[in-house]
This record gives sequence, C-alpha cells and structure tokens, in this order.
Amino acid sequence: MGDSFTQLPLQIDPTSKAVSVPESAQSKQLTAELTALNALHRSLLNLDTPVPPPPIPVNPKRSAQIQKLRESGSASFRKGNYPDAIRMYTFGIEMAVGRPGWEPSGLVRDEVSVLYANRAQAHMAMQNWPQAMIDAESSVEMKKAGNTKGWWRKGRCLIEMGRLEEAKEWIEKALDVEEDADLKALSKEIDRAIEKKA
Amino acid sequence: MFWVGLLVPITYIGVLVGSLATFSSLYRKRKAAKAASLAPWFDPHIPRNVYLSLLHLEPAPGQKSPVVPDSVLRAALLRRATEDIYRVLAIRGAKAALGILVQRGSVGDDLWQRFQRAEQEIEEELRDVVKEANAFSPGWGASIFQTANEMASNAIIRKRVDDIQAQAKAETDWWEKKRSTIQSEFMKELYEGSEDPAASSSTPQKSTTAASTSTAQGGSDEDTVFVEGGGPAAQGAKASAKKKKGKK
Repeated sequence: MGDSFTQLPLQIDPTSKAVSVPESAQSKQLTAELTALNALHRSLLNLDTPVPPPPIPVNPKRSAQIQKLRESGSASFRKGNYPDAIRMYTFGIEMAVGRPGWEPSGLVRDEVSVLYANRAQAHMAMQNWPQAMIDAESSVEMKKAGNTKGWWRKGRCLIEMGRLEEAKEWIEKALDVEEDADLKALSKEIDRAIEKKA
Repeated sequence: MFWVGLLVPITYIGVLVGSLATFSSLYRKRKAAKAASLAPWFDPHIPRNVYLSLLHLEPAPGQKSPVVPDSVLRAALLRRATEDIYRVLAIRGAKAALGILVQRGSVGDDLWQRFQRAEQEIEEELRDVVKEANAFSPGWGASIFQTANEMASNAIIRKRVDDIQAQAKAETDWWEKKRSTIQSEFMKELYEGSEDPAASSSTPQKSTTAASTSTAQGGSDEDTVFVEGGGPAAQGAKASAKKKKGKK
C-alpha cells in the first residue's frame, strides 16, 4: 500500500490553474475536495511567502479590523441603534470566520465567541428571541468556560419564549461549567416560573 | 565410500532447510494475502490521491504535457496533511477503546489487525508528507503539520457554528407561529372577557401591564410587546431589562 495510489483523471486549467475532473469520473467527495483545494490554492497565492507561515505570529491587521468593528458595534448598541450594532457585529463575525485556515483556531474561537455574544445582546434588545438564542448558543459553542454572558443570554431567551424546561436544562449545564451569581439568580427565576405554571 | 558417507548428511540438511524455507515463505505469503484482503480502516484518502495524481499528471490526448504549478501542488499537499490530521485524531481516539475491547475478546482479531495496519500506514504517510514538504521549501516539514492542525480545527469550529446558525430560520418560524397563537388566544380571551363579567377581572390588569411595557419600550413593534406583556413572560421581560442595565 505504501507507495500505491489511485490515479485520478485530473485536469488543470492552463490559465486559472483550477484543478477539475471530467464529468465521467465525478463523485461528490472528489468534487468537494477539489473545490476546497482550489479555494486553498487561491488563498495561498495571496501570501507573501511560498508556504503558509506557522500559526504564530498572526497578521495584526485583521485583528485590528475585527476589534474596530466590535467597538463601533458596541458604540451603536449604547446609543440604542440596535440594527446598526447587529450589522457591525455581523461584519466582525464574517471577518473573524474569514481568517485563513492556517491562523490559530483558538483566536477565531475567542473573537467569534465575543462577537456572537454581543450580537445576541443586540437581538435581545430588539426582542428577537430566537435569533438571539441561536447567537448565544453559537457563542457558547465557541467558548464554554469564561463565557457567563453567553450562557445567561440563551437561558434568558428560552424563558422569554416560554420554554422553561429547556431553560432549566440549559442553566444546569451552565452551572456545571461556571459558578456565577447571575446564572444562579436566573436558575431560581426559572424554578419560580415553573412552579407558578404548575 | 567417503563421498557417499558425506552425501547423506548434506542431502539431509538440504532437504530440511529447503522444506523449512518453502514452509516459511508460503506461510508469510498467506499471511500477507490475508492482511491485504482485510478491509482498510479508512475510506480512500482522496487528498492523497489528488496530490499524487497531480504529481503524475498525464497529458490529455493530443496535447503536450500540462505543467502543474508548484503553488497548486503545495495547496494539494496541505490538503493531504489536513486529512492526515483527521486520521491521526481518529486513530488516537479509537486506540484505547479498541485495546480494551480486544483484551476482553469483545471484538475479533481481524479488527485489531486492520487497526494496526492503519496505524502503520498513517505513520508512513506522515513521514512521507514531511519529506515532500521539505522538498518544496526547506523547513516546511517542521511546520506543515502545525498548519494542518489549525486548518483541521478551524474547519471543525466553522462547521459547528454553521450548524447552529442553520437552525435560526426554523427557530424564528416556530416563534412567529407560537407568537401568533398566543396573540389570537389573548385576543379571544379579551373578547370573551368583555362578554363575560366574571372573566373580566383579570383581563384589564393584563392589558395595563402590556400598555405600560409598550410605552416604556417605545418600539415600533408594539404589537409584539403587547403580546409579551400579556404572556407568561411579562415579568421576565421586565427583569431582563433591569438586568441588562445592571450588567452594562
């Protein structure tokens, strides 16, 4: 097996250098692989160095831009201009997710987590509970520990939508990860609400 | 007579060694055939096939040999390294569990053999990738797997977030539907309330709460606030407003 491989009937476009495969040999996996390969090739061409640098250090330009978007989003939020805040945060998320794949994933996690938590807050301010819940959940998925706000916000959204059982489960999970007064208060509130309903 | 005496032991040794050699080679061949007939642990390694196919690209009929630029090959090698990372992770994850299962006899020897073969293969594969990387650019071999590792985990986290965000539409639809049911139920209650004096005691109270909330919020979507105020979550909404101020 060591040196053997399956020869694929690949073609390469002389100008765009895009790799493709004739229709007869297409399979879903292979097509997906070639799409990923061509995308990676394009992003490699944008580099100054021939090969991707090791993950650290990071190009500071993008980090600064993301930081700036987050700050202007928060400024809009404070002024009460929630749609604008959401737009800024969304740009920031796109920018953070759009980092080239070889940059540290931990950094992407941190940035995306904060931005989603903030966007959740803006959606909550507009009483858009389902979207806020999804954003808070995304934030928690990216960063579980040290993300009290994310946990709290999804719990709050579930309460607002009347999904008390789910909220209870969620907050219990949150308290396993994080000991926090706000979360405990929310947990008590859920218990009271459930009692009242029963 | 002397020669005949010598011939007998030599023949004896010859036959002995010959039969042993035959037996050993047969045994090994059979074992190798058996190992080869076992199903491979992983699916075909597509990025590896792509990379090697690009290296050995054959010209299409009637054309001269196409030139694959190095940048494409480097990208393909990086894809291959990324796939290797997934495989290494899969092997590591399975090893301890499988070891225990084999010890207990819960799974057959075949599975263990397949696993060990996959492990050997991946080791060879990693060495091969490092060698190729160093051939492209000296020193890349040292960092290609760091890069590939980040590529792999970046791909995983993006997929997770995408999966969660993909539910947004369903959740919003669900909420719209639920909200309109609450609204219509509330309107019905309100309507019945005006007919039935017994029920009216609770309704006005609710609507005042709703009115106060909606004026406080002053939002454009007063309808929704109205329902919120009447719904079971009225208290929650107020509490959250307070809370948010506290947290800011």
